[in-house]
Amino acid sequence: MSETPQPKLKLTEVSRLFESNLALAPTSISINEGEFICVVGPSGCGKSTMFNIIAGVLQPSSGTVEVDGQDITGRAGQVGYMLQKDLLLPWRTVLDNICLGSILHGKASKKEREAGVELAERYGLGDFINHYPAALSGGMRQRVALMRTLAMHRDVLLLDEPFGALDSMTRMAMQQWLLSVWKAEKRTVVFVTHDIDEAIFLADRVVVMSPRPGRIRDILAVNLARPRGRDVYTAPEFLQLKDQIMTYVYDEKDSSDAA
Amino acid sequence: MQPEKQPLWRSILYPVIAFALVISLWWGSVEYFQVPRYVMPSPGDVWAHIMSDYATLWQGFQVTFMEFLIGFVVGAFSGFFMAVLMDASKTIRGVLYPILIVSQAVPIIAISAALTIWLGFGLAPKLVIVALVVFFPVVVNVLDGLRSVDSDLLRLARSMGGNSWSIFRHVKMPATLTPLFSALKLSATFSVTGAVIAEWSASTSGGIGAYLMQANSRLNTSGTFAAIAYLAVLGLVAFLLVILVEYLVTPWRTKPVVPRWSTRFWQK
Repeated sequence: MSETPQPKLKLTEVSRLFESNLALAPTSISINEGEFICVVGPSGCGKSTMFNIIAGVLQPSSGTVEVDGQDITGRAGQVGYMLQKDLLLPWRTVLDNICLGSILHGKASKKEREAGVELAERYGLGDFINHYPAALSGGMRQRVALMRTLAMHRDVLLLDEPFGALDSMTRMAMQQWLLSVWKAEKRTVVFVTHDIDEAIFLADRVVVMSPRPGRIRDILAVNLARPRGRDVYTAPEFLQLKDQIMTYVYDEKDSSDAA
Repeated sequence: MQPEKQPLWRSILYPVIAFALVISLWWGSVEYFQVPRYVMPSPGDVWAHIMSDYATLWQGFQVTFMEFLIGFVVGAFSGFFMAVLMDASKTIRGVLYPILIVSQAVPIIAISAALTIWLGFGLAPKLVIVALVVFFPVVVNVLDGLRSVDSDLLRLARSMGGNSWSIFRHVKMPATLTPLFSALKLSATFSVTGAVIAEWSASTSGGIGAYLMQANSRLNTSGTFAAIAYLAVLGLVAFLLVILVEYLVTPWRTKPVVPRWSTRFWQK
């Protein structure tokens, strides 16, 4: 096993108690560089808790989070993250929103702004750099939010249901777009979602979580060839994975409801 | 939230028609019912009075306008500062909020009398009254704005490496501008009233409010109405001034793209 590369992101026995409730049971997972991981599970399965612990905005009750072997437990700003809400500043232009990280550190330099413009141009928002967010559609706003995350130059990106508020057609387009960005930028992605289809479509591995207490139920490898097109949704392996994940999610629910 | 767009000629023409209608109704009824001039002067009488006492009225307009302007700016800034303090500390908020509420229950005119005793007949008591009028709505609205900033946004800003100053400067402060300006718009015309009330208590400065009092005590109805006309203009100017500043400071509320004159505009 000595040939295994060092994992990009590693959780070791991470847990979290809220009062006396175990929101996240001791959880361990290793994620490789450049990997696309999706986390699915019903509400209360601890995925948001895990997300906040990795993001460093929530202190775990026990365990450690490492990036490149460095302990980053409880330290914010070590990974880039993005939520369902785009959280763009309405009084700032698209470009300023992309460069927000630098602005918060003092001032965005000319070079950083040029990099922001380039990012916007590369991903189809070049004509909108001087627009205010209110003038953009929901999908465009989420793209700006992702660019803001990319401009932070963090190797690990945490995305918490970033497309959850979009209509299903925009969402599909955004998934395709995200995969192209991921391929071009070579970042490691942890993507939290409710949507099983979305998880399988995007992921190298799908982490299925279940509630009471929140924990990892299983980790499934998705061996569908990339680049993935629409036809993936009807591939036998896709359906088989979907069936298995649904079994985890719904059977768990039935048994706990009956109890 | 944006008002329905209408052509410019219409948004100018309609108020002009409405204004002309009121003036002619006034003029018509004064003539028709043969109302004596000392009861109700006609618009022509008022105009004649303005022409004959032009210099004094213009002088008074400037005095009252300066009382409004300085008091308004002082009140707005101190209200803003107070809201920031109250947002920063729970203790300060807990102590000051009840005092603020009670202070609002005291009529301005009563405070005005006391201020004359403390501060004399000059500019100072007027500024305090005007500032007090603006102060409370600004505190309440700015505090609201500060507290309504999305906690996820603050968390994100912190995780992006913002310190408390840069987060205040770039995230919280701009979020207060919209509620701040709605407070300022509401209090603009009323702070002109505040200036007039302050001048009534006692004044050696000769503002429009003082002019009004003098004309009134001499049963000079034309003079009274001339002063009222000036005050109406003053209130309008005050309101438009706030609108203008709002337009310049918050371009994102009215435009889809940052204006070219802004330093935020990026020229490729």
